[in-house]
Amino acid sequence: MDAVEQTMDAEKLTQLAEQHQEPEWLIKKRVAAFQQMELLKYPKVLRFNYRNWQMASNQLDWTESNVKLVKSDLADTHLLQLGQTTISVNLPTKLADQGVILTDLFTAVNDYPELVHQYLMTQAIPTDDNYLASYHAAFLTSGIFLYVPANVEMDEPIKLEILQDSTQTSDFNTHTLIVAGENTKFSVIQQMNTVGNQDNLANALVEVIAKENSHVSISALDQLGENTRAYLQRRASVARNATVNWSIGMMNEGDTVGNFETTLSEDGAQANAKVVAITKGNQRVGINTGIKNVGKHTAGDILQRGVILDQSQLVFNGIGDIIHGAAGSESEQENRILMMSNEAHGNANPILLIDENDVLAGHAASVGQVDQTQLYYLMSRGLSQATAEHLVIRGFLGAVLTAIPSKVVRQKLISIIERKLADGHEDK
Amino acid sequence: MATLEIKDLHVAVTDEETQHAKEILKGVNLTMKTGEIHAIMGPNGTGKSTLSETIMGAAAYQVTQGDILLNGESIVDMPVDERARKGLFLGMQYPAEIQGVTNAEFLRAAMNAKRADDDQISVMQFLKELDKNLDLLDMSEEMTERYLNEGFSGGEKKRNEILQLMMIKPSFALLDEIDSGLDIDALKVVSKGVNAMRGDNFGSLIITHYQRLLNYIVPDVVHIMMDGRIVKTGDAQLAKTLEREGYAGIRDDLDLDVALVDEN
Ligand SMILES: Nc1ncnc2c1ncn2[C@@H]1O[C@H](COP(=O)(O)OP(=O)(O)O)[C@@H](O)[C@H]1O
Ligand SMILES: [Mg+2]
Repeated sequence: MDAVEQTMDAEKLTQLAEQHQEPEWLIKKRVAAFQQMELLKYPKVLRFNYRNWQMASNQLDWTESNVKLVKSDLADTHLLQLGQTTISVNLPTKLADQGVILTDLFTAVNDYPELVHQYLMTQAIPTDDNYLASYHAAFLTSGIFLYVPANVEMDEPIKLEILQDSTQTSDFNTHTLIVAGENTKFSVIQQMNTVGNQDNLANALVEVIAKENSHVSISALDQLGENTRAYLQRRASVARNATVNWSIGMMNEGDTVGNFETTLSEDGAQANAKVVAITKGNQRVGINTGIKNVGKHTAGDILQRGVILDQSQLVFNGIGDIIHGAAGSESEQENRILMMSNEAHGNANPILLIDENDVLAGHAASVGQVDQTQLYYLMSRGLSQATAEHLVIRGFLGAVLTAIPSKVVRQKLISIIERKLADGHEDK
Repeated sequence: MATLEIKDLHVAVTDEETQHAKEILKGVNLTMKTGEIHAIMGPNGTGKSTLSETIMGAAAYQVTQGDILLNGESIVDMPVDERARKGLFLGMQYPAEIQGVTNAEFLRAAMNAKRADDDQISVMQFLKELDKNLDLLDMSEEMTERYLNEGFSGGEKKRNEILQLMMIKPSFALLDEIDSGLDIDALKVVSKGVNAMRGDNFGSLIITHYQRLLNYIVPDVVHIMMDGRIVKTGDAQLAKTLEREGYAGIRDDLDLDVALVDEN
């Protein structure tokens, strides 16, 4: 990968961060990340070549967004950001009294320095994880901090609405840091959209630190715009007997690299990762979804389903990594892609890295076309070809859709899918 | 009254390996009207399924000669879904399984496919109709929330085909070996469903290998098919004669030169 032309330097970066009233530790973190960038590699996505994509810039600008561009729904527990501007936050007093923190990341670095210092890009995604993570740390523009202290359980999901402001040209390096204390139980809905249609980059990271016996469920609806080239990295670090469940609807309109990983760090940790993606037009999307079994008796389950239209490309890599010593662990994965067009390209690759004998591991993968006997059957009952195809696709995606815990998110995802199918072109 | 006319129908299929076209139907003539139940009997491999699939419009079957008319209009160039909306229904020998789509959702979509956009069936009306038919077919409500045919036993699939028939209410139902793999109780239930449909607005072409089904659904007309042609037509009595003499007997009576795969 070509190094980005450097007009940025450590001194300039320090000045920019100071101007932004950042604490010294954060400034040091930025500078260290900036300096190590060139030593690092882009994340590898097997069978997906994005070598000639420009994914990083050397700009860091503090901008204001026009709050009138969006209106927020104040009823729910939520945080809404547009670009670098926090539009609204709502955290019920009851939760605040229990010690729950939901705030803009740069407020948090000053108000809760110890917590943020301890967890920000140290444990789940260290700054030297890869080039793009390091770039993210150095050029961080915005973010959200959610802290749920031990023993707190929440019934209502917490909504994190993250809007990229593409009414102007600006980089968007947004970080979501979620810390789930011991014995907590809650769910998060993360929605990302783009406002405006300037060509921009997005580099969005989510870190989840799930402590002992916590249960966290995260539904993500990615809907970044057509003119956004995106790098999405989400990673959870899961402690003893804790569970993290991901449901990710990768519905971006533009080129995207997705890098999703969960590390089952301690005994009895569990995770499942469900990903659904639709690609159309000339879009190119490469996604790694991995679960790493480190602790004993850990269990990971990956389920990916994609539908590809037009001339688009989608690569699903499922990565099951069981390290030596993770005895009694399980690693399951299924990656399937349905081709709705002969000009579309799909790859579904199960990758199993197993360095332990006492494990259960299974995988399935396929790239195929719509089953003609299914279509014939549905059409023989009077359904039009388009309706029949939609039902078959819905059925194909059903395994992932039905697993999404929030009915609202599920419905929303289904309607996005319907719209994409209606817009995209299929051929026979 | 609706009519279905098959005129001098010749149908070929292309062998996937050799790419050779093989003629399966060699001039079939048959006319039926709503209000009538016709049965087609014939030995295995004779072209019964080919006939029903061709009427429905399955892609594998090429009409090389002749015509199929529904209410006087040729349907051979019509897509499958349009034929269905015009009143044809095929109860399949091997119904497809579709995961992720519930039976109920599918039934509603199928019923609505025929109706105008501003005249879609209401939920109440749908459920009322569904309950009535489930009851008649001795099916549990739970079946309708299961995915379409997924994991259904052979008998459940056949019942489900009849449930669809009763909900969709076509003018003509082609029922291909709806009796195969059914025990006597299931056979009675399936027959009850078809008999409930009998009336001036419904006609059926029942394909079967065995006479047994015709004890429960008594046909008005029986056709015997051999080697891609209808070789004899009669009333319900003909099925009984066939039961006694076997296909070989009929063949010899008619002095036909046809090899039977399964002489019985
Ligand atoms: N889709 C098909 N492709 C190739 N050959 C077929 C196909 N369908 C039927 N045939 C052939 O046509 C002949 C008649 O089959 P079929 O119509 O299924 O008979 P029946 O239903 O009377 O047992 C058989 O030789 C069968 O192998
Ligand atoms: Mg047959």
